[in-house]
Amino acid sequence: MYEPQRLRRYGIQPVLRNSLGSALIVAIALFFLVLLAVLLSDTPGTTLRYFFLGPLQNTYSFGNMLNAAIPLIFGGLGISLAMRAGSFNLGGEGQLYGGAFAATIAAISWSSWGLLGGIAAVVVGALVGGVLAGFSGLLRMKWNTNELITSFLLSNVVVLIINYLIAGPYQDPETNLIATRSIPEFMRFTRILEPSNLSTGFYGALIAVLLVHVYLYHTKSGYELRMVGLNTMFARYGGINALWYRVWPMMLSGALYGLGGAVAIFGTYYTSMREFLLGMGYNGLAVALIARFRPAMVIPAALFFAYIESGARSAMMHSDVTFEIASIVQAVVFFLVTSKVFQTIGTHRRRS
Amino acid sequence: MTDVDLAVAMHGVVKIYPETQLHANDQVDLTLRKGEILCLAGENGAGKTTLMKVLYGMERPDSGTISVGGIERTITSVMDANALGIGMVQQHVMLIDDFTVAQNVVLGKEPKRFGMHLDVPRSQHLVNEVIKAHRFSIDAADKVASLAVGQKQQVEIVKMLYRDVDILILDEPTAVLTEQETEALFSTLRALANQGKSLILITHKLREIRAISDRVAIMRQGKMVGEYETATITEQDISRMMMGQSVSLDVVKPPYHRKKRPIITFKDVFVVKRNQPRPLLSHLSFSAYTGEVLGFAGVGGNGLGVLEAVLGGFLPVSTGAVFHDGKDITLRGTRRARSDGLAYVPADRLKVGSALYATVAENLIVASREQFTRFGWLQRRKIEKHADALIGTYNIRAQAFSPIGTLSGGNIQKVVLAREIDRLQDFIVFSEPTWGLDVASSRFVYDKIISLRDRGAAVILISSNLDEILALSDRVAVLCRGSISALLSPEQVAQVTKEEMGSYMLGMNQQEVRDV
Amino acid sequence: MSEALITILRSSLAIMTPLLLAATGGLFTELSGMLNIALEGLMLIGAFASIVGTALTGNPLFGILIGISGTVAVAALLGFVTLYLKSNVFITGLATNLFASGITVVLAFHLFGNKGVVVFETVQSLPRWDLPLLRDIPIISDLFNHHHVLVYLSWILLILASWVLYRTPFGMRLRAAGLHEKTLISLGLQPKRYRFIAFLISGLSCALAGAILSLNLGAFVPNITSGKGWIALVVIFLGHRRPLGLFFAALLFGFADAFSNYAQGLWNIPADFILAIPYLFTLLVMILLSVYTSRKSKFD
Repeated sequence: MYEPQRLRRYGIQPVLRNSLGSALIVAIALFFLVLLAVLLSDTPGTTLRYFFLGPLQNTYSFGNMLNAAIPLIFGGLGISLAMRAGSFNLGGEGQLYGGAFAATIAAISWSSWGLLGGIAAVVVGALVGGVLAGFSGLLRMKWNTNELITSFLLSNVVVLIINYLIAGPYQDPETNLIATRSIPEFMRFTRILEPSNLSTGFYGALIAVLLVHVYLYHTKSGYELRMVGLNTMFARYGGINALWYRVWPMMLSGALYGLGGAVAIFGTYYTSMREFLLGMGYNGLAVALIARFRPAMVIPAALFFAYIESGARSAMMHSDVTFEIASIVQAVVFFLVTSKVFQTIGTHRRRS
Repeated sequence: MTDVDLAVAMHGVVKIYPETQLHANDQVDLTLRKGEILCLAGENGAGKTTLMKVLYGMERPDSGTISVGGIERTITSVMDANALGIGMVQQHVMLIDDFTVAQNVVLGKEPKRFGMHLDVPRSQHLVNEVIKAHRFSIDAADKVASLAVGQKQQVEIVKMLYRDVDILILDEPTAVLTEQETEALFSTLRALANQGKSLILITHKLREIRAISDRVAIMRQGKMVGEYETATITEQDISRMMMGQSVSLDVVKPPYHRKKRPIITFKDVFVVKRNQPRPLLSHLSFSAYTGEVLGFAGVGGNGLGVLEAVLGGFLPVSTGAVFHDGKDITLRGTRRARSDGLAYVPADRLKVGSALYATVAENLIVASREQFTRFGWLQRRKIEKHADALIGTYNIRAQAFSPIGTLSGGNIQKVVLAREIDRLQDFIVFSEPTWGLDVASSRFVYDKIISLRDRGAAVILISSNLDEILALSDRVAVLCRGSISALLSPEQVAQVTKEEMGSYMLGMNQQEVRDV
Repeated sequence: MSEALITILRSSLAIMTPLLLAATGGLFTELSGMLNIALEGLMLIGAFASIVGTALTGNPLFGILIGISGTVAVAALLGFVTLYLKSNVFITGLATNLFASGITVVLAFHLFGNKGVVVFETVQSLPRWDLPLLRDIPIISDLFNHHHVLVYLSWILLILASWVLYRTPFGMRLRAAGLHEKTLISLGLQPKRYRFIAFLISGLSCALAGAILSLNLGAFVPNITSGKGWIALVVIFLGHRRPLGLFFAALLFGFADAFSNYAQGLWNIPADFILAIPYLFTLLVMILLSVYTSRKSKFD
């Protein structure tokens, strides 16, 4: 009785009650994975072995898996923040891509400013993402335009425009890849687990989780944001400026995505390639859903998704299946993760 | 009388709702004779609606039997009930505004041609037939959105008659009707009974029981207390059996002193909405003074809700001015209203007054967040101590960190009261404060209102509950079609009859509004 | 100049067909109270299954029937998870789209050994109809005659849908589910049932829409639908959720698409920008629409 009280004070609600549903969904997803392997592969045993164990075999695979989780953590945080305020940011693809591209170009352009230029470039990445999402938020604030649809549409446009820019005006003339120039060496994040490409960006992701958690549960603005999401009429009734919280959470959300894109560039890719990180936006959404929009839960959820993708990649390399199997497994998760039937398994509500 | 002569006989009905573990129905027996009007009486939460939902197939009982026309039946769905000739008119009108009367009535039992094509002319014809047979004031082609509340209820009754029901259940039908509409309804019901139909009327209004019923069945806390011939029982007896004790809205009010300062003043306020032909509020002028309860009475749809929204800052004023202790506060949204010192208990405590998934503590600080913030940082310990203190003072059965949605209605209202009274400065607005509350909680609210008035606050009480208004208010303003049709002084309040109030509320009578 | 206009208009009528079909099915789900964003994924499955079916059976009719079966099956899954497992309809729609893009690539890879474009040489384009009545009228013939069979079918289906929605008990109950489901429940009817059938209908119509895309191309391309499902959604809203409105809204988008094709040939605009036009246009439409509706209802 005493322990939960203390935990609650710090905003960490006892996780057990609702976890059964999440665990069940993960189990079903993995079951489908096994099913697919058995149905499609000539060597299901090998396929599954590489899928489940591949990411964990050695430092290289494991580190890469952690690294892949970084943009998922940022995206998951972004979506969770927006959803807590009742806003649906479906534009993660464009915000991530836009932030990454902007950070790349800024880093290259400001290389003469040294480390400061690097920091400014990362900030620019976050800003671009924030502005994109904030635009949808603004439309919702002024004219009640559905931000889910506008963020999605805008994101599609942004992806196409950046594809054009990377292949056209900003293409690196010295390589055959469809990519921009690389960012200067001194700006790149340090690798922390050789030979994998895990970088210090991972620490950044963890810090972001902490910051978002603290923001939501320990600041007045975070409280207002949550109230707007729980019951907008109530928030207005209490004197909270609900209109502002149609824009601000979207801005934060987009900024987190943009930051994730920038970190991916500075930590892993060092250059913007055409359609790299495709699908990360939606994965961020899935991560947020599994985490039930709780910042602390975003980390295990992101790791789970990174694990699935790493496993798929490993299975693809060593066996005869294709990478898109991961999409199917992710789809299974998506199908079930908002199911009220699953959410209330094993829970009981009482009235006093 | 054996079961064969009865229209309906229910024996030993038990219904337990798993979430509450409460016996909503505890071994309940009920009999309904053919051609009679039976009133099912009881307080809120006594189990009347649950029992009727069981009869109507909307709920399955945990045990018990139901006989219709002497034959035992199993009723598992509304369809089953309809097939047995049982119909129910719910408390909240279940109609589709965009559809016509005919469409609403035939929905679910549509006349067809060639098996699939909807026969629109025949629908209208059949529905009009039913309407004419019972002399209702509607037409099959009318769009439901354009009907008045009383007419919408007529549509509900036509819906049931179209399905050839012999047994008709009505759940609190007069809750939203005026006196005159109630009379019209009652004559309809008597006509139906004369035609041989059997009626059950769920109600808790003593006067109506006496006016309309042949017999009355009284329930209390899930149990059936007894069935009685209405002619042989007094209103005192009925209310005693309903409540378990003698009831009276005995509010002890210290005498009213001559008014002092006006705290809230409305000057010729108009509220207009673009798609409404009539102004929602017009020529509204009044003042609420320190140390008084100013009650606003009226029938739903005549401006009570609009007034509440304006006071709460949700709805802007179109023309006119609003003053708070001399300060012009006409153009203010909810934010400025709160910083201006608004204390406001809304009618809808669930949708407006609380956030169900937030904790009690979080609910308590919404309007006074600034006090618990330092440099943007929430002072959680201070918030929790504050919550614990209020929980103690108001005797709220909850803990600071419980989500407020797990509390009962009465306790939720206590949280709302605690929050608003705690931040009260010089005035407070109450809207429908005891809606859906049991006797004990209502008493609590009434005591608080009186004590606030004695402390010198200006209390504005908006309520559609006439008993409440007349018992608590020092002065009463009646809103009809958005303007004040009568403003009663304390002496007049003490003497006015409910019929007179009804006539003001319906606009049949207007008082010269002098004293503002 | 006017010849170019006729060409563009004619193209519009052809291009709008998948949109119209998808929107017609989507109208059922929308009127039943569900925001169905899975039109994109369902079209994709329809495209894949139809062309594979046609290649296997040698007959486009059977191929399309196979396409319909596959798509309706997925739509049934979508309906089941949303309605009976009580999930959020946006997310399950997204899941459907994700599932569709995944499984089409996986099956293409395992069946044809190719993750990219799969060309079906044996598959012929959809047959075209030469209507005797229109043949001889000069301009009308240029515009309306000699379209492929599904163009005409889409118009017939729209009229049929209109009849079902407004002139049958089923349609009335379905609309009631979307307008005020409590009323249906109080009558002992289940909104779930009508919504589920609406999902199935959307599967059927999206199958046809997808079939057009792949059969007329003679190949299956990953992401062959490229946003058309989303535009179908916008068509529904732009058309005020009424059949006639749907027709003109779809025509509008068909026109925009046809015009941008023409423009690309004429002015040298990068391909990516051309692809972006439908989304930009949709975004603009959505903004204008919401400005309009928010002006109409000023207060709470």
